[in-house]
Amino acid sequence: MAEDVKVIVFNLGKEEYGVEVERVRTIERNQHITRVPKTPSFVKGVINLRGVVIPIIDLRGRFGLPETEYTDHTRIIIVNVKNIEVGFIVDSANDVVDVNEDIVEKPPELVGGIKAKYLRGVAKLGNRLLVLLHLEEVLNKQEIVQLENEEE
Amino acid sequence: MENNQYLSMFIDESQEHLQAINDNFMKLEQDPSNINIVNDIFRSAHTLKGMSATMGFEDLASLTHEMENVLYLVRDRKLSMNNYIFDVMFKGVDSLEKMVQDIVGGGTGKADVREVLKSLKGILAGNINGPGASAASAEPVKAAAADQSLDEVKVNEFEIGVMKNSIEAGYAVFFAEVAVRDNCMLKAARAYMVFNELERNGEIIHSHPTVQDIEAEKFEKYFSVYYLTKSDAAGVEKMIMSISEIDAARVVTLDTNGLGTLETGDYSAIVRGGGKKAEEVALQTATNSESPKIAEVVTPKAAAGGGGQAVQSRTIRVDVERLDALMNLFSELLIDRVRLEQLAQKIGNNDLNETVEHMTRITSDLQNVVMKLRMVPVDTVFQRFPRMVRDLAKSLDKKVDLIVSGADTEVDKTVVEELGDPLVHMLRNAVDHGLETLSERKKVGKSETGIIHLRAFNAGNDVFIEIEEDGRGINPERVLSKAVQKGLVSPDQAKKMTKDEIHQLIFASGFSTAEAITDVSGRGVGLDVVKSKITGIGGDVIVDSVMGKGTKFIIRLPLTLSIIPAMLIKAGSETYAIPLSSIVETFVVEKKNIRTVHGTPMVDYRKSVIPIIFLSKLFDLPDFNEEDEDETELAVIRKGDKLVALSVDDFIAQQEIVIKTLGEYLEGDTFAIMGATILGNGQTALIIDTNALIK
Repeated sequence: MAEDVKVIVFNLGKEEYGVEVERVRTIERNQHITRVPKTPSFVKGVINLRGVVIPIIDLRGRFGLPETEYTDHTRIIIVNVKNIEVGFIVDSANDVVDVNEDIVEKPPELVGGIKAKYLRGVAKLGNRLLVLLHLEEVLNKQEIVQLENEEE
Repeated sequence: MENNQYLSMFIDESQEHLQAINDNFMKLEQDPSNINIVNDIFRSAHTLKGMSATMGFEDLASLTHEMENVLYLVRDRKLSMNNYIFDVMFKGVDSLEKMVQDIVGGGTGKADVREVLKSLKGILAGNINGPGASAASAEPVKAAAADQSLDEVKVNEFEIGVMKNSIEAGYAVFFAEVAVRDNCMLKAARAYMVFNELERNGEIIHSHPTVQDIEAEKFEKYFSVYYLTKSDAAGVEKMIMSISEIDAARVVTLDTNGLGTLETGDYSAIVRGGGKKAEEVALQTATNSESPKIAEVVTPKAAAGGGGQAVQSRTIRVDVERLDALMNLFSELLIDRVRLEQLAQKIGNNDLNETVEHMTRITSDLQNVVMKLRMVPVDTVFQRFPRMVRDLAKSLDKKVDLIVSGADTEVDKTVVEELGDPLVHMLRNAVDHGLETLSERKKVGKSETGIIHLRAFNAGNDVFIEIEEDGRGINPERVLSKAVQKGLVSPDQAKKMTKDEIHQLIFASGFSTAEAITDVSGRGVGLDVVKSKITGIGGDVIVDSVMGKGTKFIIRLPLTLSIIPAMLIKAGSETYAIPLSSIVETFVVEKKNIRTVHGTPMVDYRKSVIPIIFLSKLFDLPDFNEEDEDETELAVIRKGDKLVALSVDDFIAQQEIVIKTLGEYLEGDTFAIMGATILGNGQTALIIDTNALIK
């Protein structure tokens, strides 16, 4: 048996997603975000996190899902991927679960409107379905450029 | 051997010595007969050799040793320097630098130096390959110092004879025992420095341990010498104590009688008291070994009294990371200060206001101190240029005088780090393409030797660096035709351009190509890179040239990159910061006074008309539009000699801001934003990169 990994669970719509705890620096409540002009629409701007300026991405926008109003449940998950620090805006984040690598399956083509390449896998926990994100791919900027070109 | 902790110290010091050797060779080349310079080089090389041997870098030590041998002959006027020897020596210095670089990179400092060694040995063997090749013989360096190994303080009859003769010749003979401080890092190097100091004023007859053993650091705390000089005992002691990290010196005067006693084998006059007493006697000039530790720190200073030690210990080396940490902490403090000021204003309590005001003054002073800590003289980049220009001139068969001035001008460390490459580039261009060949210079009536001025100076909050040569200058016509050919300007535009505008074209990207170097008055390789690098650190570069007379590049740099004065502005609900250095003036203009020329809004400004950039349009502001206002606030911003008016909602205040990056994720993806800063209320505000607004 492979080892258990602790995963932070967050919601986008009805779907439950997960990122490994070791990737997460902190989870913040929604706060004032300073808009940065001339950036893709899912880049909401930057915040001051204890003296460090951190870019904030709306994860809904990043995956092309409809963006919603922010509520009291809205959270900003600050992740660190290959020394790049970024905050993800998610609908809510309220759980930490242990996931065993053995039960992680290959993701289907499309989960909740998100392409398989952004997903690392799917884990069944009882009757819950947890979608694990492929963070490197989510932060891949080359793909963003392509995306923008398509839009044009 | 636990040398690792000394490694960075060794690297720093060896680099300093190498630079000194390099500089002095350059000086010597101008003034080959000046033995003082040779002595300076000799001392640096000697220390370097000692340090390398101690640290176990044998190749470094052996190469230095061979170079030293050649210098030894020069010093004793048995060999005079010529071009060939200079070249070999410079090659040697280069090899040494490479080795040190290798050590810096974690290597072992090994390098293939056989060729240089061969040349050096060749010189020693009399093959000096040039005019005046006299039969200079290779003599072992340490002929003066007796190498025989003897027990403790014993000297042989021959040496005693020499000493006796010297007393008759008017010299005084001393036995000096030197104690190196217990915590001394490079004992051998310190010992060398003592030897050097003594040998400058006299002659060492005998040393214990032997020179080789001292070099290999095969001694604990003490080493001793028999020494001939015209100075007195106090003078000898002073000489020894002038070297740092020397704990004590015990100097015993030996007269003819005393020497006679030695001859009989009775060394009681000079040996340490023996056993326990030894320590006390030896340390009498400095400290009592039994006294508490604090005393140990204090007394050596007192002992040095008026010697060079006090001066030497006035600087300390500090890891750059610590300075950066200090800077970051200070930035945090600055943000809180601004917040406090705002709170105090809101509350309006007098006592609170006074306290905050006082704190503001102190933090301003603190800021100056912190910034000064990070300032380094531009000399740290300038110092390698004379050598570079010399080599370049030689390889191109040109004669060049590089005149450096203002090398002590100080700039923030981060600025200096970015400065090296662009300057190398521009100096290379100046020598290679700016200056004419010897025959060309003769033809136009200039002296054969081209002159390049490299100047640095402060003016206001900026630092200027100028590179000026008296070469052929820029040919505007050829620049223009090249620019048109490259499609950088249309032929119509070209006709309207002033000479100055044409000159600046050489910085345009796409202008400088390999063929452009030789075609266009020989200027241009990578000048766009130079320009972007300098504007990248908040500076600017312009060129001024007169055909046939020469070219001058003027680089303007900010003093620092991390904290700048800025104007905070409001744009609807958003706040932005504009670096104060780029703002020329602010004023308000009524809407009816804004004119539209060719679709571009313009405004009258001091007898000229300048374009207006609307911030709302530029940054797609969600809740503000200048067009709704009857009058608009304008900030006139400058880049070089171009002006643009930036229209904003409102000016808030002038404030010191700390520049932070937007984070790696956004790097390179933003437009006209050079970073962010944190405001007093904890929110971030973006800093507008005005350079990007003016093309």
